[in-house]
Amino acid sequence: MHDHGSNDAERYRDSKLNKVLLIGNPNVGKSALFGLLTGKYVTVSNYPGTTVEVTYGNATLNKTRSLVIDTPGVNSLVPMSEDEKVTRDMLLTDRAGAVVQVADTKNLRRGLLITLQLAEMGVPFILDLNMDDEARSRGIMVDQDKLSQMLGIEVVKTVAIRRSGIDRLLKSIQHPRRSPAGVRYDDAMETGVRDISALLPEANISARSLALMILAGDESLKGWLHANLQDKMISKIEKIRQEVQSKFNNSLGYLINQRRLKKADEILSQVLSLHEAGKGSTIAFHIGRWSMHPIYGLPILAFVLYLVYQFVWVFGAGDAVGFLEETVFGEYLNPWATKIVTFVFPAPFIQELLIGDYGLITMALTYAIAIVLPIVGFFFIAFGILEDSGYLPRLAVMVNKVFKVMGLNGKAVLPMVLGLGCDTMATLTTRILETKKERILVTLLLALGVPCSAQLGVILGMVSGLSGLATTIWLGTIAGVMLLVGYLASKIIPGEPSDFVLELPPIRVPQLMNIFVKTLARVQWYLKEAVPLFMLGTFILFVGHKIGALAYIQNLTDPLVVGMLGLPSKAAEAFVIGFLRRDYGAAGLFMLAKGGMLDPTQIVVSLVVITLFVPCIANFFMMVKERGMKAALYMAAFIFPFAFAVGGALNWALRTLKIAL
Amino acid sequence: MSEHKKIDAIEGKAGHPALCVLPEIEKEDEIFEIIWTLREEGTLTLEQIVQSCSIQECESIVKELARHGWIALKGQSVELLPKGEKRARELVRRHRLSLRMFYDLFALDGAEAEACKFEHILSPEVTDSVCTLLGHPPNSPDGKPIPRGECCAMFKQEMKPLVAPLADLVPGEQAKIVFITPGSHSRLDRLSAMGVVPGSIVKLHQKRPSYVIQLGETMVAVDKDITKEIFVKKV
Repeated sequence: MHDHGSNDAERYRDSKLNKVLLIGNPNVGKSALFGLLTGKYVTVSNYPGTTVEVTYGNATLNKTRSLVIDTPGVNSLVPMSEDEKVTRDMLLTDRAGAVVQVADTKNLRRGLLITLQLAEMGVPFILDLNMDDEARSRGIMVDQDKLSQMLGIEVVKTVAIRRSGIDRLLKSIQHPRRSPAGVRYDDAMETGVRDISALLPEANISARSLALMILAGDESLKGWLHANLQDKMISKIEKIRQEVQSKFNNSLGYLINQRRLKKADEILSQVLSLHEAGKGSTIAFHIGRWSMHPIYGLPILAFVLYLVYQFVWVFGAGDAVGFLEETVFGEYLNPWATKIVTFVFPAPFIQELLIGDYGLITMALTYAIAIVLPIVGFFFIAFGILEDSGYLPRLAVMVNKVFKVMGLNGKAVLPMVLGLGCDTMATLTTRILETKKERILVTLLLALGVPCSAQLGVILGMVSGLSGLATTIWLGTIAGVMLLVGYLASKIIPGEPSDFVLELPPIRVPQLMNIFVKTLARVQWYLKEAVPLFMLGTFILFVGHKIGALAYIQNLTDPLVVGMLGLPSKAAEAFVIGFLRRDYGAAGLFMLAKGGMLDPTQIVVSLVVITLFVPCIANFFMMVKERGMKAALYMAAFIFPFAFAVGGALNWALRTLKIAL
Repeated sequence: MSEHKKIDAIEGKAGHPALCVLPEIEKEDEIFEIIWTLREEGTLTLEQIVQSCSIQECESIVKELARHGWIALKGQSVELLPKGEKRARELVRRHRLSLRMFYDLFALDGAEAEACKFEHILSPEVTDSVCTLLGHPPNSPDGKPIPRGECCAMFKQEMKPLVAPLADLVPGEQAKIVFITPGSHSRLDRLSAMGVVPGSIVKLHQKRPSYVIQLGETMVAVDKDITKEIFVKKV
């Protein structure tokens, strides 16, 4: 997917189509606008070298075939995070036909901060004041003609989700202009800007804007500078920067922003008028408030979890899986495949490889497509809805304190929740975290204690037959272990935790189209990334079975499994398989339980072990890729024995205290 | 006046209160302040004092101070003796508090000159009141620490502070940002891109389970520590 993503991106970058770049703060409705502008073909791809999603779409705008690009939201074009860097780099290296700045009308002050930077860059653009309805309902009116006059560019108002104003926007896209609006900084800074500008190479954006980025201490520009300038020049530039910085006590980046905001306020004072607020969407406002209330927030959290559970694990894992597995695969695909394979390949070895007990078709494909895909797919839909509704950041507010215990902050809840869908993808998403320490911690915790949706589906199936006490013990053990390990690991792993600064968008009704696009992209990722690993895993199992390695490992682990955990020896197989796919392992245990070979205590112990157990092989590969081989091996070396130790301790405690489950 | 010049004015040429026009009696005070500041920077030597000082007879006054038991002088090494330490501490405290008051609260351009006059007439009681009024600020506008006074330790609340950390607001209260003490640079950069700069109106939305602040139509969840660094004046 990664490579594929960059190929996509490169292909688009080289394309001769007229490019329209959508740029703006986070949560201003860029994606809704994107959905409106583009029609037939949509692809979400990762920007080269990052996990940041950039959406490309073809459209015919004003009778010209165009490529519309939806960029990640930015608060500043001096990047503070990876996604902001992607957006800035697109401006830096791509020459767009038109740049459309999308601003949230009710948050125009922050929008203007970007407008002024685009003006400094000398990029031709237009300004779209989106969500005009929300602004109006709050009594905020913007004089668009006056604003257009002051900025020297076309300004239009839209309500993207209602299609209003789109015609005017399309017309304006044909006339992007450079804005003469500028900000004058302090004399010492202006001198620095002049000196640095003189040393800079030709670029898509003005030397002045680049010089300001450098002054603001933009680390992310280093790569570009090294590619375009000699080292001697770079150190010269750095010297100028330090010289200017030494004249001020506050960071230059802060002072530059302060100056820009002052200019934005000057503009606002002439174009903005406040009126009596209308009724507006007060229900959404109250939901937003309650969802992060110290008391009401908890039942809301429980309710959200319940809905997700019903949707993903009752409806998705139950009905959809039942239909796909039993009807589609069980009655049609597998029997057909069996017939075709037996007909085409007379050799029993190949037959077994494809359709045997560990067959690539009967086991791997059935498993990947019929069982895991619907669960993961339904999870991605639920996650997309949570994401777009604005609930997830509020969840981060609720759990911030708990996460602080583990040396993290509320932001880490996002990859953790995604981990409930797929740990592999979540490990990739740890890149949204700011410090290396946090990324290592979350990777470890994901691998250790967050069961993925497929595994959770099987686990929930087993738990449902148990008493409430048994479920509580399982859940309590996992949560306690995560807290403890997180706490200890945060003391051991060097580095600083980062600040918790998270913007909370208003609660909104998600746009179906947007959810659809996102889910499609994620399912695509799953099919490309995970399914081949299912095949590989199954193949390893097949070989292991053939050469007797499985039985050998089983014998080897017997004392552990039988002696320490008090489980039947067949459970060892489930743990071995569990490394290839965590959910495979859970499924193995499920079959044992179903066959009446496990008593409730054994079920709880085995569930704890398989939940804590090392993640699937795909996740392990991702850990190696993201954190490096050494860190990944360390984590695995810790988790394997640790999972068994916790299971053993739990088994001992339950048996000694004679707790009947 | 530009930002740059304003800060220049606060610092004086070599980062010391050189703009003060000094009556005879206050020359000693300036030297005490210089000694304190140099000690903070870890460059305290007799030579440095003379270099930083705008008074011509500087060296002789230093020697005079040593004779009267304010400081200990041995070759280049200078050390504050207990009574000198106390005097320097109080002086610097008054000076930096005055700066904070003129610069942030009254937003005066000539903050330094005003502060120079003010620091000499503040009585200990008034100094503590000013400190309380400003919410016991930890730094002066140029980022240097303000020596703590008794009022800071006891955290007297009899006088309601005019300027207080954002963290001390009651949820739902609205206030104007007066100054932000420079914590980490990247923190300031990030917050300023969201509109958190002096002059902005900010509302404390809630404190539990996490601090949430609101600027215009933007809501941001932040650590409590950050809200302690943002000083506001109620509106």
